[in-house]
Amino acid sequence: MSEAFSFDAVVFERDGRRILDGLSDHIHAGVVTAIIGDSGAGKSTLLRLLNRLEEPTQGFISFHDDRIDSIDVHQLRRKVSLVGQRPVMLAQTVLGELRIADPEVTPDRAHELLARVALGEFELERKTLTLSGGEQQRLALARALTVEPEVLLLDEPTSSLDDSSATAVDQVIRDLAASGLTVVLVSHDLDRVQGVADFVLVLDHGRLVERGSPGQVRYLS
Amino acid sequence: MNTTAQIPQWTGVAASLLLVVLAAALVVYQRLGVARDLLWAAARAFVQLLAVGALLTILFAHAGLWGSALWVIGMVVLSGFVAAGRAKGLPRARVAAWIAVGLGTAATLGLLLLLRVIKAEPIVVVPVGGMVVSAAMSATALTMRAIARTATEQRAAIEARLSLGMSGVDAFSPYLREGVRTALIPAIDTTKVVGLIALPGAMTGLILAGVSPFDAIRYQIVVMYMLLAAAALSSVVVARLTTSALFDSADRLVRFTHQS
Repeated sequence: MSEAFSFDAVVFERDGRRILDGLSDHIHAGVVTAIIGDSGAGKSTLLRLLNRLEEPTQGFISFHDDRIDSIDVHQLRRKVSLVGQRPVMLAQTVLGELRIADPEVTPDRAHELLARVALGEFELERKTLTLSGGEQQRLALARALTVEPEVLLLDEPTSSLDDSSATAVDQVIRDLAASGLTVVLVSHDLDRVQGVADFVLVLDHGRLVERGSPGQVRYLS
Repeated sequence: MNTTAQIPQWTGVAASLLLVVLAAALVVYQRLGVARDLLWAAARAFVQLLAVGALLTILFAHAGLWGSALWVIGMVVLSGFVAAGRAKGLPRARVAAWIAVGLGTAATLGLLLLLRVIKAEPIVVVPVGGMVVSAAMSATALTMRAIARTATEQRAAIEARLSLGMSGVDAFSPYLREGVRTALIPAIDTTKVVGLIALPGAMTGLILAGVSPFDAIRYQIVVMYMLLAAAALSSVVVARLTTSALFDSADRLVRFTHQS
């Protein structure tokens, strides 16, 4: 199994506080990797480091053997796309949302993207503000897919959703991983992690303390 | 220009002070708690205007055109501090404000001088320069404040755009447009209702000095257009400069705490 990302002694500090403390490991390509741990463990920071929304204080991160700071940052972010915890709508309509990064998206392409996130029945002119939280989160995923990323970074993708919406989003994540995408997600919901992740990394106070399949990791039990 | 206006003597000024004392007495009687502020504002205005009057008298008599230009530059420097103070925390705010107000002032005032629309004399350059700097400073401050607030409040949306591979400038462009529009609303609205709600300062001054209203409006039109242009130019310049300062070399939105 090839590596999508590798970390080499990554340290991240903000305002004098060490958030990640000498992280060295890797993330496999083509699977779903969940980063779990207690609040303040550095999970979201690690995710943001992967598409350079943050920069390590020390150490470096590689993407397919190339240091990410040597890759054009805009190219990197198109390959490694991040979807935040709460879905942020950037346009008034569904089609507008899918044209944020690529104004050339055709209605056919839009329907194709929506089908990948189980929103195939949606009207393209529907107002985004009328969508439920789960629908907005899936539309945010579809928006990220418009740039054809290799990796999706998902920060607590189901934390603000009700159970049925969260289940629908989990299914979309599994389907996207099955189509070849690498998915890295941060979650605090251990039951959902067991259902959706292939690998788990456990952080504690900025240090990697466990790694393995969901069945192997003691933190989950 | 022959002055036909009746200029009050110092006794007249003292008489007008009676109005402030009366207002303060009313405020005390009503227990509104602003009498001290009212009297302080009146005293401060008196001292400030006295100082400015003395300074302008010396300036007009001795400084010449270069001295007047230095005076305008001084106003630009001061206005940079004031405008940047409205967007505390915003990276490189003061430098951006100086450049924006300086460019807005230089372009409008310079063009009017070059085209000989206004005279290149201290008695014209100093007051007209003051009006231009004030308009540019106001638009600059409003633009910077709108941008600082937006960058703080819309962080998630801006980072969502960055995460799609957009440059910082592109990711911020919808908010930049909104910021400039918001900042220019006062200048545009003032221009729209000029003469309808209140007679503007320059025109009033000329009429009081005995100039015919029809001649006075020509001067006022030049002033209004000049102020509008200075405000628009400064707003656009500061918006661009501030947006660049919001993102680092890797197009990350820098962290700052906005204090308005």
